[in-house]
Amino acid sequence: MLRTESVLTTRAVVTALPQTHKSNNSTLWFQSIPKSYKLCCNPLSLNNSRRKASYSSSNRSRMTSFTTRAAAQPLKNADELIDSVETFIFDCDGVIWKGDKLIEGVPETLDMLRSKGKRLVFVTNNSTKSRKQYGKKFETLGLDVSEEEIFASSFAAAAYLKSIDFPKDKKVYVIGEDGILKELELAGFQYLGGPEDGDKKIELKPGFLMEHDHDVGAVVVGFDRYFNYYKIQYGTLCIRENPGCLFIATNRDAVTHLTDAQEWAGGGSMVGALGGSTQREPLVVGKPSTFMMDYLANKFGIAKSQICMVGDRLDTDILFGQNGGCKTLLVLSGVTSLETLQSPNNSIQPDFYTNKISDFLSLKAAAV
Amino acid sequence: MNSCQVLSRENLTHLLDSVDTFLFDCDGVIWKGDNLIDGVSETLDFLRSKGKKLVFVTNNSLKSRAQYALKFHFLGISVSPDEIFSSSFAAAMYLKLYNFPPQNKVYVIGGDGILEELRLAGFNAFGGPADANKTVDLKQNIFFEHDKSVGAVVVGIDPNINYYKLQYGTLCIRENPGCLFIATNRDAVGHMTAWQEWPGSISDSIISHSGISAGCMVAAMCGSTQKEPIVVGKPSTFMMDFLLQKFNVSCSKMCMVGDRLDTDILFGQNAGCKTLLVLSGCTTQSALQDPSNNIHPDFYTSKISDMLDLLEA
Repeated sequence: MLRTESVLTTRAVVTALPQTHKSNNSTLWFQSIPKSYKLCCNPLSLNNSRRKASYSSSNRSRMTSFTTRAAAQPLKNADELIDSVETFIFDCDGVIWKGDKLIEGVPETLDMLRSKGKRLVFVTNNSTKSRKQYGKKFETLGLDVSEEEIFASSFAAAAYLKSIDFPKDKKVYVIGEDGILKELELAGFQYLGGPEDGDKKIELKPGFLMEHDHDVGAVVVGFDRYFNYYKIQYGTLCIRENPGCLFIATNRDAVTHLTDAQEWAGGGSMVGALGGSTQREPLVVGKPSTFMMDYLANKFGIAKSQICMVGDRLDTDILFGQNGGCKTLLVLSGVTSLETLQSPNNSIQPDFYTNKISDFLSLKAAAV
Repeated sequence: MNSCQVLSRENLTHLLDSVDTFLFDCDGVIWKGDNLIDGVSETLDFLRSKGKKLVFVTNNSLKSRAQYALKFHFLGISVSPDEIFSSSFAAAMYLKLYNFPPQNKVYVIGGDGILEELRLAGFNAFGGPADANKTVDLKQNIFFEHDKSVGAVVVGIDPNINYYKLQYGTLCIRENPGCLFIATNRDAVGHMTAWQEWPGSISDSIISHSGISAGCMVAAMCGSTQKEPIVVGKPSTFMMDFLLQKFNVSCSKMCMVGDRLDTDILFGQNAGCKTLLVLSGCTTQSALQDPSNNIHPDFYTSKISDMLDLLEA
């Protein structure tokens, strides 16, 4: 039964598109959720012995399905790859920019792809900004990218709730930053929490009883620099005590490169905390879950085989592409080195790898 | 097959004959919040009068052993710190047992209890409540510094958990070669009790409420380091191995008394000693007898003072 997990994912691609989840009289809005969105498996993370056996074994079956892939090929014929797909999905950190600095050759590469009629999409697990705010970042860096081409995990959370017809009279408790709040507001959802709960304190002594809003129907957890005990407790109470309350994670990245210079504890930490206190697995909307891929494919009417995913992280970007059934290109301009890719400990093999995306131009030139 | 027996005069007599040492969990067995459970004092006196050794084992790492001894004293029970095994103490003992070099530092994500026990054991520990108000501002392109001589990060329940601590601990574990990741315990929820007075009533009513516990701080660190911790508290056998060695007792002559199946009872079973579940804490009879429950103690009873009632009858 578990060997069909990867099949389940691709099947989910065809049948589980957002609009098929409109609630009807016989299903409650929180019951019609595709199983594949619960498979947030990160094969690089260790099995938590407290997790249910089914999660661990599905984790293992994913790993065995990867060992049969051929080793990644260095990209030689860029034109062939470019001609074989219609859409390029780019991760941002480590692919387009590093911290606040644009990576060399990016503007020219994007221009070239556009001139060839390719659709460009930018997908990031970073939930601190909304799409609009990311649009501004692209603009500041001199890149011509529209808001509609950007898909941050903050947007994904709101899009997910929309896709399952999350009731407008229910509320969303947010353990995360401004980006999530902005996207929820744009989508017309009521929310509580966010950065302002960062100042709330609790007292761990008898006599303390935390009240929580019984109308909270979903808790969205993402990267949160204002993380504290109050929020964990509030989120836990909602998930444990409000019937049908959803536990949604923007992403589970262990570390993130918020600054160019070093790693920072990522969304995986906040999500881990809530997982630990609720003993539940979250629905993950960010990479490597296929939600964003399904959303894009549906929105733009494109087939997965016509997409190439370009990223710098094996366990989010490349796995995302593979889960979605599209081509994958790893760039070494971010967090992954050639050594890591070729290490015997690594079981994730993208189709191709190259130094940076501007190789599309230089390899092209070499081929002439 | 459910082999769990309700405690009776007969099986209790047999238990008292075959057991030399009683291990007691504290929350939900001895006290509830700051209140002593009925009949505890007399029961402990009775057991001592029968020559039984008593040991108090708690996963709550907020206090040190000395602080717990004060709590017992305040509740009118005379207990020496030597008879208390808090998970804060277990963390310090683990480092001692495994010869943690004293020139290496220990970063603590937790309360004063852990800091106190580590320092008592001679280790250079820092962090804890002192980092409660530290923030991280990413507006400037700052570099987050961390001490490269930290050789262990100890994580326990922390009411002051924040991003600074998570980031500090994460960098130590990921970047300092050989840095240990130690968890005092992994309890998902702890038992927080609130008392509410109803006007005109003569007794208080209790509202039980699940409060998040160490398990979630530990899980947060697992999420960012992608590592599993060494767990020193229940149900890990470390604490049991340590107790057995220190008191020179054998498992077969020991009985673990607790209110939680997945820590206390499992702890006793893992070690091979007898187990007695009390229903004065967070486990109800229906939870015990629910078909989804796989952990069956040898005996169960409503509270420890039943021992006196049963023998009196």
